[in-house]
Amino acid sequence: MSVVIITVGLFCIGLYGVLTRRDLVAILASVEIMLGSATLLLVGLAAAGAPLGAHEGAVEATGVMVIVLAAAEAAVGLALVISVARRFKTTRVDELTEVKG
Amino acid sequence: MSLASIVFAVLGVVAVAGGITTVFARDVTRMAIGLGAFLLAVAGFFVYWGATFLGVVQLFVYIGGVLVLMIFAIMLVHRSPEGSPELESRHDVAAIAVAGGLFFLVVTSLRGAVPDSVDQGISSGTAELTDAFLGPMLTHFEMGGVLLLAVLVAVVVILGGDER
Repeated sequence: MSVVIITVGLFCIGLYGVLTRRDLVAILASVEIMLGSATLLLVGLAAAGAPLGAHEGAVEATGVMVIVLAAAEAAVGLALVISVARRFKTTRVDELTEVKG
Repeated sequence: MSLASIVFAVLGVVAVAGGITTVFARDVTRMAIGLGAFLLAVAGFFVYWGATFLGVVQLFVYIGGVLVLMIFAIMLVHRSPEGSPELESRHDVAAIAVAGGLFFLVVTSLRGAVPDSVDQGISSGTAELTDAFLGPMLTHFEMGGVLLLAVLVAVVVILGGDER
């Protein structure tokens, strides 16, 4: 049960960061925390003996897939952040209002 | 108190402290260090549970790749003459309510999913992982490769467009 409390707590810390941070890089860092804690919960539940995955190695394989997806997300996200910083000279989400209706 | 539970507690404390530092730090460098501590603790958890390969991949990809990429982005974006800038947050009751409410909901709904048995760890090793990737999860594996190629092209398109 401590596994669930730690990982879900970490996920909610990351969620709080996404909701309250005002800088794009800091928001991306909080998203990384959410992704990492979700993988942690999956592996932790499997290690505790929960019946996950149809075949052996499925949990680890899913974990590797999540890491690959997170790396891809970080690469595209940071490229967009750098592009935004070049164009608008800021990464504060409050000041990026050009497409706001 | 056994050695295993001490290791678990230390990893948990490092992970939570790193997460809190990442979310609350006002200094960019402290945020990056907090994220590094969190990712390191996650890799430690993987090794602790017996998913050694996953721990090594986490170390390589996250700490060697994503964290360095993030520090590079911070260095490129936050260039100001007056020292390192302060990261602002807008703390309010609604964000605390959403995060706390989600914590309560997920923990209570997952209570039944956690088996009462003692930690047995992940029994499968690298051989089972390879079998999974070249067998039932082959499509995932191939899609991962396609995704990484698409990401590579996308990053070049996003960043290389206005260089002329």
